[in-house]
Amino acid sequence: MTPGVLLLIAACGVIAGLVLGPWRPRLWLALTSAGAIVALVAALWVLVGATDWEWRSGFAVAGEPLHLRLDGLSAFFLVLLSVVGGAGAVYAREYWADQQHPDSAGRGRLAWNAISLSMGGVLLISNGLHFLIAWELFAISGYFLIVLERQRREVRTAGWLYLAVSHAGTLCLFAFFVALAARTGSWELGPLRAHAELAPLFWLALAGFGVKAGLFPLHIWLPSAHANAPSHVSAIMSGVAIKMGLYGIIRFGGWLPVPPAAGGVVIGIGAVTALLGIAFAFAQNDLKRLLAYCSVENVGIIAIGLGGALLGVRHGDAPWGRLLLAGALLHVWNHGAFKALLFLGAGSVLHATGTRELSRLGGLARVMPWTAGLFALGAAAISALPPLNGFVSEWLLYLGLFDAAASRSHTAWAAMPAVIALATAGALALASFVKASAMIFLGAPRTEAAAHAHECGPWMRGPMLALAGACVGIGLAPCVFWPAVARAVGAWNPAWAGAEMPAPLFTLSAVQFALAGLFIAGGTWLWRRARANGLRRALTWDCGYARPTARMQYTGGSFAGIAGGWFAWILQPERALRRPRGPFPGRASRIERVPETVLERGIEPAGRVVMRASAAVRRLQHGRLQFYILYLAAGVAVLAMLVWLEGRP
Amino acid sequence: MIAILEIILRLALWLVLAPLLPGIINKVKAWVAGRKGPPVLQLYYDLARLWQKGVVLSTLASPGFIAGPAVAWVALVGAALLLPLGPAGSALSFRGDVLLLVYLFAVARFCTAWAALETGSAFEGMGAAREVSYAVLAEAALITGILSLSVQTGSVTLAAMLSQPVGAGAVLLAAGLFAVLLAENCRVPFDDPNTHLELTMIHEVMVLDHSGPPLAAVLHGAAVKLLLFAVLLSQAVLPLNGLPPLLAAVTLGAAVLVVTVGVGLVESLLARFAFRRVPLLLTTAFLLCLFALLLAWKGGAT
Repeated sequence: MTPGVLLLIAACGVIAGLVLGPWRPRLWLALTSAGAIVALVAALWVLVGATDWEWRSGFAVAGEPLHLRLDGLSAFFLVLLSVVGGAGAVYAREYWADQQHPDSAGRGRLAWNAISLSMGGVLLISNGLHFLIAWELFAISGYFLIVLERQRREVRTAGWLYLAVSHAGTLCLFAFFVALAARTGSWELGPLRAHAELAPLFWLALAGFGVKAGLFPLHIWLPSAHANAPSHVSAIMSGVAIKMGLYGIIRFGGWLPVPPAAGGVVIGIGAVTALLGIAFAFAQNDLKRLLAYCSVENVGIIAIGLGGALLGVRHGDAPWGRLLLAGALLHVWNHGAFKALLFLGAGSVLHATGTRELSRLGGLARVMPWTAGLFALGAAAISALPPLNGFVSEWLLYLGLFDAAASRSHTAWAAMPAVIALATAGALALASFVKASAMIFLGAPRTEAAAHAHECGPWMRGPMLALAGACVGIGLAPCVFWPAVARAVGAWNPAWAGAEMPAPLFTLSAVQFALAGLFIAGGTWLWRRARANGLRRALTWDCGYARPTARMQYTGGSFAGIAGGWFAWILQPERALRRPRGPFPGRASRIERVPETVLERGIEPAGRVVMRASAAVRRLQHGRLQFYILYLAAGVAVLAMLVWLEGRP
Repeated sequence: MIAILEIILRLALWLVLAPLLPGIINKVKAWVAGRKGPPVLQLYYDLARLWQKGVVLSTLASPGFIAGPAVAWVALVGAALLLPLGPAGSALSFRGDVLLLVYLFAVARFCTAWAALETGSAFEGMGAAREVSYAVLAEAALITGILSLSVQTGSVTLAAMLSQPVGAGAVLLAAGLFAVLLAENCRVPFDDPNTHLELTMIHEVMVLDHSGPPLAAVLHGAAVKLLLFAVLLSQAVLPLNGLPPLLAAVTLGAAVLVVTVGVGLVESLLARFAFRRVPLLLTTAFLLCLFALLLAWKGGAT
């Protein structure tokens, strides 16, 4: 019962913060962060202990008795929510302070607690009707968080798009839960694997939750929403909110029977999402859009693992399925940590310079050493570089996929392309993050704003340090975190409960430690040697240019030119070039933009056709009474005709 | 104690032998062109001299400019220690070590590109962009080749993957991996290490601003990487485990020599390709590895 008491305390804290937040920022921070810590303890209690927490009450909400459940899987996601939620709340104290944002800071605190509460509800609730209510509250509070800066037009557009797409997804979920309830005769949720006839419902869940998760091509709301929201909001949206979609797919993929094709389809969607997501990310010149698209990639990576797990179940609980699910779940944590870190870092840059355009930044490492170092750490982690955490989860995924391929069964059809997609996406992710961190932090400042940036304060630095610590911790000691992962895996599929730690994880842990030590030792040694031999500062070699300027540096667009070109078929970049003309050329410019292909080339044209058809139909309604009488007469005539035709033998 | 001694011995072997390869390649090139060429040990002299020299830092560079080459060097040497040497096995072997090997290359790439971009030079940006972009295709080819070895042997451990008898796809795999070797080590026809025009270089332009000990780390790291790929390629094709240890060592050495001379011959007989044709060549390498994979999967035993 103790996790329940803790959860109650946490909920009370967050609710009190919700009520008081708009007026009392300090009290809000205390209550919210305390709530996050208590919720974290409750989740860890369930993850480390062996028992689930379940609470049924006769108390009815909307005609249904309340039923809460915290098992390994939901506790796993609750850890993510409380860590990122707490870190974001602390960060917001300085980043979105009342002094700078007098009109929206209070609203932001209110919506922050609302989304935290509703996401916690989604994780805990075990009743279809209440799940839908919590899901809807979560979606709406997400909207209010995204449009905090509502005086900006693109923010409102992004908010609208989010709301519209999110509700399209909710529609699928509505159908899903209603069909489920109609079939089983109750709104109660739980393991229903015996009902084989429920399998086709998986597709509805995949579509509905896939929208929130940002699976390609349902990701259309994601880049603009993440880019235009305040950075701490981007962090929770990207680190946690899209994981709620994944939680839905994982949860119901485990509770319900799935169609035979589910595993292959999810792997396929995952591979496409990973590759195209990172291709779009690489081409972006807006820092936060780049990070948002990279979230699409990571969702794809997690989907590959989940699809593999579904395949593993289908093939008689193959051990590689367990590895893949473990990798996917660990990647959920990892992505939450490094993506939130990167978004908070982006917020720090935005706070200091007022721009997120890569081509207006540069050279910030000198004035913002903390942000630069932490962002670089996050970049290395998200590129899955050892000895950080991204490598550990991708390593588990690779192990599972290699085993699946080596089994030479039909699963190899799915596993082998997934391995290649994963490796290619990994190399592109490295390219994207070299580009992002170099364009922001290295070289010379490209604008005045970048030259006069300032380092962020302790309230912003602290959460970033904590998240970076999580990245390093999971990277160096994955064995410590394995029991939690194994517990969640067991909650997903009871046949896989009590999974042994893969033996090489210990070795990997030791190797990661050794690598970390050697990297530091190597760097120090070379630095000392260079210092001892004598350091001299001089201009960068620029082919003999006597006065290189910052504008001569390579830009993000040119950096992405080569590999971006390979994906031109989907990226469809738009270029506007004005060449310099005449002996005294006035102006020359080159503007390059990567559109949201799916949205601008697919959905918007289709929407325009629908709108045009609607406009044409609307012409029938013009307010002239005589025509309305004519419609009526024609209608009656047609009806009479039908009746007459029907009556004939 | 023995284990530590063994690791030190292996380390010494890798560190000492690696700079030999660029020397041999240069000798082969000189020989084909009818020149005398620099001595085979030239790189050793260069490294010794660079190690003693002072460093000129770009005014824009931060300590990351020196840490980059150091970390890249450690990553490459670490990767070398993972690689088994015929019947001697590897210093450290665990399930999934092959993935660590691939990702250690990625660490090295990240660090060199990072250090290159520290300077804010347009040329170095160009080189870094090329390096990370072409690496995407090279990585796809490399992982496909590794996957084919894994499917062939049913293992994810380097020692087991490289010791099994070769399958029918060995020739395809050898051709694919050789192309990856050329691309990853910035050799002709992907890159010309001897060119002196910044616009047309990849790796060399990235390290243009390095000097002194950091440059020595970069050059030595590149040599280790070349040796690493040559050893990997040789063992992927030759089943050394059945041979007595001495013969295996000699065979491995000879195979590495053959690969090195092959690189030299390719450099002498081919010109560097236009950059727009590089992706085509790398895609070919990927397809070769893919066919090897299909052969290992469908054509292999059981």
